[in-house]
Amino acid sequence: MSGLATPIIMGFLLGGLYALIALGLSLVFGVMKLINLAHGDLVLLSTYTAYVVMTKLGLDPLLSLVFSIPLLFVIGFVLQRYVLKRASLISMEAPLIITFGLSLVLQNLFQIIWSPMSRGLQASYATSSFGLFGASVPLVYLFDFVIALVVMLFLHLFLQHTYLGKAINAASQDRRAAQLMGIDTNHVYALAFAIALTTAAVAGVFLGLTFPFTPQSGVSFLIIAFGVIIIGGLGSMLGTFIGGIILGLAQTLGGHFFGAAAQMLVVYGIVLFVLAIRPKGIFGR
Amino acid sequence: MAQETLLEVREVDVFYGGIQALWDVGLQVREGEIVALIGANGSGKSTLLDAISGLIRPAKGKIYFQGEDITDLDPFKIVSLGVSQVPEGRRIFPELSVLDNLMLGSYNRSARPKKGQNLEMVYELFPVLKERRKQTAKTLSGGQQQMLALGRGLMSSPKLMLIDEMSLGLAPIVINEVYKALREMRQKGITILFVEQSVRRSLDEADRAYIMEAGRIVLQGNSQDLCEEEEVKKAYFGICD
Amino acid sequence: MKDFISRARGGLALLSAIVLLAVLPLLGLPRDWILYFFLFYIYLAMANMWNLLAGYSGLMSLCQPAFIGLAGYTLVIITWSGLSFYLGIICGAVMAAIFAVLISIPVFRLSGIYFAIGTLVIPEALRIVFFLWRPVGGKLQGGGAGYMIKGVGGVSMSQLYWFAFVLAAASVIIMRLILRSRLGLGLSSIRDNDRAAACCGIAVFKLKLYSFIISAFVTGLAGSVFYVYQQFIEPATAFNIKWTMIVILATVIGGMGIEEGPFVGTIIVVFLHFLLAKYAGVSLLIQGAILVIIMLIAPQGIMGYLRGTRAYRFVLRHATGNGLIKADIGN
Repeated sequence: MSGLATPIIMGFLLGGLYALIALGLSLVFGVMKLINLAHGDLVLLSTYTAYVVMTKLGLDPLLSLVFSIPLLFVIGFVLQRYVLKRASLISMEAPLIITFGLSLVLQNLFQIIWSPMSRGLQASYATSSFGLFGASVPLVYLFDFVIALVVMLFLHLFLQHTYLGKAINAASQDRRAAQLMGIDTNHVYALAFAIALTTAAVAGVFLGLTFPFTPQSGVSFLIIAFGVIIIGGLGSMLGTFIGGIILGLAQTLGGHFFGAAAQMLVVYGIVLFVLAIRPKGIFGR
Repeated sequence: MAQETLLEVREVDVFYGGIQALWDVGLQVREGEIVALIGANGSGKSTLLDAISGLIRPAKGKIYFQGEDITDLDPFKIVSLGVSQVPEGRRIFPELSVLDNLMLGSYNRSARPKKGQNLEMVYELFPVLKERRKQTAKTLSGGQQQMLALGRGLMSSPKLMLIDEMSLGLAPIVINEVYKALREMRQKGITILFVEQSVRRSLDEADRAYIMEAGRIVLQGNSQDLCEEEEVKKAYFGICD
Repeated sequence: MKDFISRARGGLALLSAIVLLAVLPLLGLPRDWILYFFLFYIYLAMANMWNLLAGYSGLMSLCQPAFIGLAGYTLVIITWSGLSFYLGIICGAVMAAIFAVLISIPVFRLSGIYFAIGTLVIPEALRIVFFLWRPVGGKLQGGGAGYMIKGVGGVSMSQLYWFAFVLAAASVIIMRLILRSRLGLGLSSIRDNDRAAACCGIAVFKLKLYSFIISAFVTGLAGSVFYVYQQFIEPATAFNIKWTMIVILATVIGGMGIEEGPFVGTIIVVFLHFLLAKYAGVSLLIQGAILVIIMLIAPQGIMGYLRGTRAYRFVLRHATGNGLIKADIGN
């Protein structure tokens, strides 16, 4: 059983990263009851941005965050304030259809610019491994985990202790009451979406450092994010974290037992399985 | 001393989808008054409050606050002008603390500078909120939640408070407390328009009243006069004594 | 009397159009034209079925590629076993329907919004499955996990045209039958208000399941017929999201939840494909952009616009006598 130490530890650490991917989706859904089908592709946007910084500027991919965090913040704000808000007034499906369209636009864009070829982000510190319990684990997994914790902690503190964070909280609990108190819910929702996408920006870079990616990777990111939310539930950071770990372990253990080609299948299988057995009342607080 | 008209609703029609909820509704509230809006369930009282607060846009008619046309404004702008609604069912934020609930009442740009001041006033009016300020709002009793809702409404420095179904689900003693708070609020210079189902209570507490039925205003006037109105007596079985 | 005449004229026009379309392949038109008609019929059948789900049953299904790909691979298995491809087509549809029943268990627990992502997982998962699994022995053609369809080399374009034509006509008739039946009535009430319908005793789950199965079956048929034409299948394109884009775009442009919507929309989509044929690289980008723009400015689609359907279900604008309501979504 000694062979299991590596996938278990890696899966656990990976779980942090998966929780980070899901964070943005969870925030948006918790506050605005919106599922952004383009979430995964927006994460990938940050990854490709890092790729550009790495190849064209020769800089460390992490530095791309200086650029991609504001970029995704603005995209998130504009998307919610001017597009999705309008869409949610049209019908329940409109935001889904629009984000679906957006997702394909992004996928195609990535394909045109960067070809379907599989790519990866490199950084010197990310390639070495460290030993733990007899397992050899790539250092980058540890970084993933740590950064996930840091971001989640930041977000938690923000939502609980700042005025804007509390307003976001309030608007998600009771939109009508929030409006009656003079909270500009349109503005607050847009800010929430923007913040959600900045977490996606961070997730994107670390994903690129951990795995190779293609223009189609956005879909898997979305499914992972969604899976984390289903398993961990909404509105709880801890739940998101646990959900991430479960899926992380599913992937690494799946890869260990069934081979690398099938590992995503195990993840998808678990998502569907959880969907099948979870009672309907899992969502909402 | 002539009292300034604070709120004027003129010939307002409101539709929910294809269904008309308000027909040609008009009312006025003057500065310093306590006015009651009375009617049974479904008579349109809440709809009218929502229209004033900007949650619903009238198909016809106008609403003026301090002479300014607020008919088409966003809800948060109307709050910043000085109109605050305490919604039906209290609708406090259950997961947040009492203090957080109150502080959010001052979120609006125009109310923020007066945050501390308003908080003091709220604590003065409702000492129990000060006691329990760190508790989660959902742990409060019904009456305390109502006070929290009122307090939150006060945090936005309103000139006019709209209160929807204040005494719903509250014990009589608690209702007394709440109405006492209303009177104290009036003393602090806040004008009040409240919605009630109970005629007797309303006419006791309010200076004037409007009676609504099926989306229309059917009667209006001084509380005293209304008490003596034949129709009120007939419809509401001589409750005024 | 006038009414009768205009109805009779309409009926006659429709009949002549159908006859014309039926004999089209015999008119000696260029093969390319026949091909575009063929695609039109295939896409129409699929779009109608998506409209049934998303427009009428409130099920925003993103798993249409699963039905298409499964039907195609069933066709592979049947034809490689030496059986007739006709059987393959039918079995393909049946497989798709069975699959629909299977996945309804995990996926129907979700309401409209989550249903979308739930269904997104399935084609992705199948893509990997068929990448790894070799359902029939023998070597693979081409680089990937693709298969040739056997025994279909002799099928002429005209035959394919007629298969597709019948299929498209059938999808239109099925839609009409459903919408005029009790199933249709139940579906409209579910679409309008899920919970209220349940309270009225409408078996929400059963009705949704029936729509899902019918949709899977006909979509599977369309997929099978398509693969008889293409003669080659591989996982990456079979379970590809481009199928989903086609049906969503066609239905949205034409008018979601409107019977004629997919028909009008598919015409436009096929035309669009014709225009974009040289620009395959940007095809999805353009379609995605069009989808977003249409949803924002004319979400009711062409047919909806012609009928004066409200664009905004939650905000009523400029409709005479109606007020503007800033409604409370989610509260």
